[in-house]
Amino acid sequence: MPPVINQDLCIGCGTCADICPMNVFEQEAPKMVPTVAYGEECWHCNACVLDCPKKAVSLRIPLNYMLLHVDAAQFKE
Amino acid sequence: MLTLKNTLETDVLVIGGGIGGLCAAISAAQGGAKVIVLEKANSRRSGSGATGNDHFTCYYPKAHGNDMAPILKELLDSMLGLCHDTRLSVRFLERSISIADKWHEWGINMKPFGDDYVFMGHAFPNRPRIFLKYDGHNQKQVLTAQAKKAGAVILNHHPVLDLLRNDEGITGALALDMSGKEPSYTVVRAKKVIIATGAASRLYPPAGTPGWLFNTAFCPSCTGAAQAQSWRIGAKLVNMELPNRHAGPKYFSRAGKSTWIGVYRYPDGKLLGPFVTKATREVGDITCDVWNSAYSDVLMNGRGPAYIDCTGTGPEDMKFMRAGMISEGLGALLDYMDDKGIDPSKHGVEFMQYEPHLIGRGLEIDINGETSVHGLYAAGDMVGNFRSDISGAAVWGWMEGEHAAANLESGSLVEAEKSEWAQERMAYYDSFLTRPSGAHWKEAALGLQQIMGDYAAAGPHRVRSETLLCAGLKYLADLRRNAEANVKAANAHELLRAVEAFELMDNGEVIMHAARERKESRGMHQRSDYTFTNPLLSDKFLTVRKENGNVITEWRQRWSA
Repeated sequence: MPPVINQDLCIGCGTCADICPMNVFEQEAPKMVPTVAYGEECWHCNACVLDCPKKAVSLRIPLNYMLLHVDAAQFKE
Repeated sequence: MLTLKNTLETDVLVIGGGIGGLCAAISAAQGGAKVIVLEKANSRRSGSGATGNDHFTCYYPKAHGNDMAPILKELLDSMLGLCHDTRLSVRFLERSISIADKWHEWGINMKPFGDDYVFMGHAFPNRPRIFLKYDGHNQKQVLTAQAKKAGAVILNHHPVLDLLRNDEGITGALALDMSGKEPSYTVVRAKKVIIATGAASRLYPPAGTPGWLFNTAFCPSCTGAAQAQSWRIGAKLVNMELPNRHAGPKYFSRAGKSTWIGVYRYPDGKLLGPFVTKATREVGDITCDVWNSAYSDVLMNGRGPAYIDCTGTGPEDMKFMRAGMISEGLGALLDYMDDKGIDPSKHGVEFMQYEPHLIGRGLEIDINGETSVHGLYAAGDMVGNFRSDISGAAVWGWMEGEHAAANLESGSLVEAEKSEWAQERMAYYDSFLTRPSGAHWKEAALGLQQIMGDYAAAGPHRVRSETLLCAGLKYLADLRRNAEANVKAANAHELLRAVEAFELMDNGEVIMHAARERKESRGMHQRSDYTFTNPLLSDKFLTVRKENGNVITEWRQRWSA
């Protein structure tokens, strides 16, 4: 979250805007690059990343979703 | 201003194009009914099954033997089993494998390991395994295509706002058409309605990232719509007061904990649970299914945090785990781990207990899947007297579609949009769009979470009581009144978020009414004024409904097989 659209790769097909379960994107008109209008409502489900025919969408995971982890070597000490 | 642009007629209306809704649509259409599906987003990628799933509970006589009893026991002992009317569990198990067969035939890979079904995960050592491991990454596209092939009409970007009924029963639904530039209302008149809108996320402050409303394990656009809308028209809800909390990676909320193949450890390496010392694809560490509050407990007692450790898992099983994560729809999590260099073969990943949500708590259904409102069926996560997640939605959706299509003569088409209730609700939702200025929907949504977190808290380590719940109901009513008078939606998107906030308020209200009536402690429903578990309530379920503005709570015997 939020999705980031690579402006150079996007062909404005609108797939991401159509399939996002959270309606995060808005597309003003056909063939226009959608805007990420409600990025903070992204559920990081990855649908836009998976379905973009040009692989133009990626997710930027917020800093605070940090997936806390440690070196597993500590379990063996 | 919102106006009613479309009035449609159908035999069977399905609300929600998730797993349950699509399976209902397919079977109803194959049964000869005219079917319309109203979907909030796009059925190819909506709901908690949006990008995948990998466990499908079912009974397969070839693997399990002809005696269903041990499999039923396993289901009821599992994390899914708390709120089952056993009569429904048996019916589900009887039909379950036939739905897996259909899914496989349609192109969802239910046999990714060879010629036959394989059962693994969420299992106790030396006990039957009831979770069919499958590859569900394309399940929504496949089911959408099948529904269309069967003749169902899917209207995407049509969230349902309210159910419509008369004295005889259900008559249709009011939806918001957000598919074009200008939003409008659509009413669908229907003989039968199958509601399948999923879980209720976003009721409580997110346990890991407070304020980040959409960082939830299950889909955050599932906001208890079925419970709220059915409650408003007098349907019976059940088990609403018994909290459920999921668990998974800390701060990156995601369902799918059983797809991880590892063991749970304290920071010094000691195992959390007694079940296994090494995890395999067949039998992982079931500790957190059984000891649901483990991750919270070890923080509260200072012995934590708790980690999942996959370093003892063999290389083949690690590859298998990664593939499983893709099947389960955890692609974003994998991408993030790859990007940040987090490697489960080297790192322990902290797990946490997520905030309470509603799954397997909600509408009471009978043996045909029908609710207490004639002609209204419910399938999936929002059913309150049965739970089996993906396969529960699929199997009950299928059976309800069949039943609805076969009983169309007991429903009739009426001018539902002309009812006083429909007119009142259309004016109500319009007020949020047309008022010149006001509060943002998020204020209402956060207000609800604050109240739920403080006055209807779920355990462990948090209590409910008569005084807290009564105060909570009062504060919630205040919040609702203020929000109804002040929320301003700038567009259809914001209106939808406001609608969801009000749906969640209805759910919160029902939870608090039911929690007051359950004068005992059970599971994560912890009462400071009734600290004991009352054995007299062990085989009883608590139902709640509204009649003429009064809240009616009733206890009933659990339905045995």
